Amino acid sequence: MILTKKEEAMLKGEYGEGPEIAMSVLTKLGDVYGADRMIDVENVHIDGSAYGWINDAGLDLVERFCRSGMTFEVPTTLNPASIDFDQWNELRIDSSVAEKQFRLATAFKKMGAIPTWTCAPYQYGANLKYGQNVAWGESNAVAFANTVIGARTEKLGDLADVCAATVGKYPKFGLYRDENRQGQILFELDDLDFRTFTSTDYGILGFFIGTIAGNRVPVVTGVPKNATLDQLKSYCTAAAIGGAVSLSHICGVTPEAQDITDACAGVNPEEKISVGIGELDDTRDKLNILQGGRAEVVCLGCPHCSVEELASVAQSIKCRKLQKGVRLFVFTSRMAKALAREMGVIGAIEAGGGKVIADTCWNFIPMEDSVLMTDSVKMAWTSSQKFSKIILDSMEKCVEVAVGAKS
Amino acid sequence: MTKITIRCNTVLKGIAEGEALVTRQPICLYDSLDPKSGLIINKRHELHGENVAGKVLVFPYGIGSSSSSATILEASRCRKAPKAIINLKTEPIIAAGSILSEKLYGKIIPIVDKPETNPIEVIKKGNLVKVDANAGLIEVIKTEKNSAKS
Repeated sequence: MILTKKEEAMLKGEYGEGPEIAMSVLTKLGDVYGADRMIDVENVHIDGSAYGWINDAGLDLVERFCRSGMTFEVPTTLNPASIDFDQWNELRIDSSVAEKQFRLATAFKKMGAIPTWTCAPYQYGANLKYGQNVAWGESNAVAFANTVIGARTEKLGDLADVCAATVGKYPKFGLYRDENRQGQILFELDDLDFRTFTSTDYGILGFFIGTIAGNRVPVVTGVPKNATLDQLKSYCTAAAIGGAVSLSHICGVTPEAQDITDACAGVNPEEKISVGIGELDDTRDKLNILQGGRAEVVCLGCPHCSVEELASVAQSIKCRKLQKGVRLFVFTSRMAKALAREMGVIGAIEAGGGKVIADTCWNFIPMEDSVLMTDSVKMAWTSSQKFSKIILDSMEKCVEVAVGAKS
Repeated sequence: MTKITIRCNTVLKGIAEGEALVTRQPICLYDSLDPKSGLIINKRHELHGENVAGKVLVFPYGIGSSSSSATILEASRCRKAPKAIINLKTEPIIAAGSILSEKLYGKIIPIVDKPETNPIEVIKKGNLVKVDANAGLIEVIKTEKNSAKS
């Protein structure tokens, strides 16, 4: 890689220990992936923000950076923490975990992070624009930034994201380069009635496309232009978890892909797949584990609910109360929660017996329940070590089950 | 005993030898690997119940979470990391985990990818495998005993 004088000096340790570590990790990564130089990124989203994700090894590194006097060079937002900072105690989070998360928060804030603590920073906290280079972690956020906004980012690994934020740079490879953004596999949607599509259906579609595309860039035709941001969030999240999809070209939605020619840079895609209701039904069956159990815990908000989604939850509850033996957890960001509280939405969910949790991820909440119901494809797919039965259905159906209507 | 040599691309240099653990299924190490024990804990993955510690881990490519790099680093800190990694295509998240391990804990996990023949077809669980990432070579040593295990 060709480095600037300053980058070279950082690498040699002339700026101290912290920049030497960061630059050494980034240049090595750049060398592996054939980057010719570093690019300046305009902002960073740090995935490795939870103690539960980066563990003691990560905490050690972040505190080492902080002690060496490093600050974040560009606006830097944070993914969820291991705790809800306001109600971790009543959620029965281990106090030693909370203590380490507080240490991590102190270090991040001292370095200048924007304490968003959300996995949907594109909805609250981060500012993105079409065509800009950013350096983001969190697979769903990366997929959303590339697919829906048309910003450019690789999917950064935890702690590589912290390194990028401290120097405001990332090696130029992968999705920062035009040739790697070219669509490779075409998905044509047949006979799908998008008028009845819920966010969960968008997730199932994304998951199917992700599993087939693997690490290729999919091109998707037939998605309506009026798909909501929350529906696209669900699609992007599931595509990133079903495969390694950090960019989908949704023709007519993705800014750089108004049609197939745009998406594939004029080259014919190497493979064409038709997607109909049959593929989606099979995918739905794969995501459910032993469907039919009675839900003991209902979880919504993976990724974090927007204000609109929180309002829909409150509306679906319709002033009813949770039935006995069922718990309802709704995960969101502190920004959305504050707005929704002012609207009376949080009060309405709590009056029904639901719990609205901010700053954190369902991953970190102790749950002894064995049957989960969720509207999230990502949670349904990745929570199998926690639950013995998993039921995936729309948010409305999840709420109906929680408040006691027949499933 | 037979010996097979496969040429491949060097992702991260180093030489290591160990028993192979092989999967055809892409893997997200963050939600599949417990870094404190080395165990694969994801019930949805075919390696569920296996331990990666000290093994040569063969998988097509990494998927899903950004956290997998920190998972590899923590596994290195806890001495439960794989000895080497063989991929069809190595995702930057996996490479970042190995780079951090070397930089912060001096633990080298060599990685190779783009092998000239598909190692998932050739290498069986329990085969003794030497990864020479400096030379870009995988050596598979099959004995009757460990071939029978597959």
